[in-house]
Amino acid sequence: MNQVSNVDITASATPTLSALPLRLADFDTLASALDYAAAGESGANFYAGNGKLASVLPYRTLRDQAQTLAKRLLSFPLERGARVAIVAETNPDFLRFFFACQYAGLVPVALPAVIHVGGHKAYVNQLHGLLKGCRASIAVSSSQLLPFLTEAAEGLGLQFVNAASAFDELPEKNCQLQASGLHETAYLQYTSGSTGFPRGVIITQQAVMANLVGSAYGLDVRQDDRCVSWLPFYHDMGLVGCLLAPMATQRSIDYLDTRDFAMRPRRWLELMTNSKATISFSPPFGYALCVRRLRPEDIALYDLTAWRVAGIGAEPIHIELTDRFSELLAPAGFSPLAFVPSYGMAESSLAISFAPLGTGVVVDWLDSNDLADNFIATKVSPNTGSSFVRCGPVLPHHEVLIRDEFGKPMADMHIGRISVRGPSVMSGYFELPEQTQLVLSADGWLDTGDLGYLIDGNIVVTGRHKDMLIINGRNIWPQDIEAIATRQPELRSVDASAVSVPGPEQEEVAVLIVQCNITDADEQHHLIQRLHREIHEELGINCTIELVPRHTLPRTSSGKLSRSGARKDYLLRQKSLSTSDPETLLKKA
Amino acid sequence: MTEYERILTDMTKGLAPFTKGRVEVNENTELVGDLELDSLQIMELLLFVEDSFDISIPVSILPDVKTVGDLARQVEKIIGNT
Repeated sequence: MNQVSNVDITASATPTLSALPLRLADFDTLASALDYAAAGESGANFYAGNGKLASVLPYRTLRDQAQTLAKRLLSFPLERGARVAIVAETNPDFLRFFFACQYAGLVPVALPAVIHVGGHKAYVNQLHGLLKGCRASIAVSSSQLLPFLTEAAEGLGLQFVNAASAFDELPEKNCQLQASGLHETAYLQYTSGSTGFPRGVIITQQAVMANLVGSAYGLDVRQDDRCVSWLPFYHDMGLVGCLLAPMATQRSIDYLDTRDFAMRPRRWLELMTNSKATISFSPPFGYALCVRRLRPEDIALYDLTAWRVAGIGAEPIHIELTDRFSELLAPAGFSPLAFVPSYGMAESSLAISFAPLGTGVVVDWLDSNDLADNFIATKVSPNTGSSFVRCGPVLPHHEVLIRDEFGKPMADMHIGRISVRGPSVMSGYFELPEQTQLVLSADGWLDTGDLGYLIDGNIVVTGRHKDMLIINGRNIWPQDIEAIATRQPELRSVDASAVSVPGPEQEEVAVLIVQCNITDADEQHHLIQRLHREIHEELGINCTIELVPRHTLPRTSSGKLSRSGARKDYLLRQKSLSTSDPETLLKKA
Repeated sequence: MTEYERILTDMTKGLAPFTKGRVEVNENTELVGDLELDSLQIMELLLFVEDSFDISIPVSILPDVKTVGDLARQVEKIIGNT
């Protein structure tokens, strides 16, 4: 990692107690929140892959460095609110640049730092799409990733594209800093890594602060809380939940790089143990990774008794996983009641709801047929039917409604589209009024794209009406997978539908159904292999490829491909395969 | 045996758990295209490489790694630099 100067390698981590009276994010702006936190002792700590503390950034130092950097950024002729794109690696530079923007009245945009094996071209294309989408004026990365960023910025006319360290050479503008104000944009959040369709969620200071207050109360943040995170900063849970939320409540946080976690998931538990952290969030796949890689002999080395908020969200939660995690780590003092199922999305800053603290994972068991055929949640006895996790009540000062397909509100226990209204909701997608109109009504209701129902004031998510796939906690848009297929010379633009189906362990698995006239087994094999490789390079996921004859993919009445129809047909074919001769109709990757 | 060949041999051994004996692995074998490693398996492979060669693999080398040989050459370079 390319760490900043001014970092004392020998320093110890920032203390848990900040020495300031606890304030629960009741600030107008992120800059004023940091001004307050800077008067205390707490801050951010970065751990290396070997588990050692690599750098320490007290909020005090962060504020000072960010203000200096703000003046350096302003040495360029930038209009207020100009976008500064930051390749978001887990290091102090990301925080310095993010908050420099806050002090300078600029808008930071976190760009993904995830690169897949063989994915050079795909990564550059992705960055290019994002830089273009947000019309960035400045772009910064570590020196390691600079070649990719420079390549991506070609032809876009940015004012300055460079490594973080190069900004230290810039002159400081002699000026009084005017920080980003209440109604100004705090940041743009890109909702997925989509190359073809990047959408930047506009979050104002007012919106993010409202959300941070809601989270601080929802999680009952206390004086002695400490956080641990391995989530990337370009992810809403990583940025808002694990950077802005701890800062706005003056909490110290210990960071582990996302890739280091993915390689060595046990480091998360070691760090929780050593720092006696109380709050840590992860999508289900993070807990699943721990379960998979835990060694029985290690369990006794962990002490997770302090962990009181084990947040879990961002993809469907299955009780089998949380039960397994709790059971395995009970000897280390992990309490199943620490789990806090959470629901949220970037379009609502982050959090929409948290399950009540201290209750753990509460599920409703529902009749599967009533659910599928009548869209009604009918309770059945535990361990029969389908189970769904309660994600708690909507944040205070926010409203939630379940609507039918015509927008009419529905009664409790009826499944429809989840919509949310309140101060945390985005202002829209950056420079995409049509996309904004599709999800945000004139009277402020956000269509979340999710399906669910309400019970005793709790939100329960049952699925999605939008077509997005969530693979290992990452949002993948089917259009991106389909675009990879339809650019192949032997395929046409209407030859592919991408969907997700439940995998063997209930996780979502991506499936690409491709129709073509290729009958030669060798050619089929090559096409499948090529698609598999290109999807992996571009999106970093494994995708099952199914080849079917032309005219197999179902269409809607208006002639468009129907992904839901394609998914249903695929599942039917899989079912008939498993019950009949597997050699029959299909060839599967 | 050159350094590169030694690394390649070690790496091929490390890949055994991922190939399940299906594919013969040589320096031209593609990690994703041929071995169909998913992103988590790639992580496990990198972990194996980091641990067995006692190096740290920078994230920036991955985009230009396609084959087993590409990875071995990168490892050789990293070892040479330390």
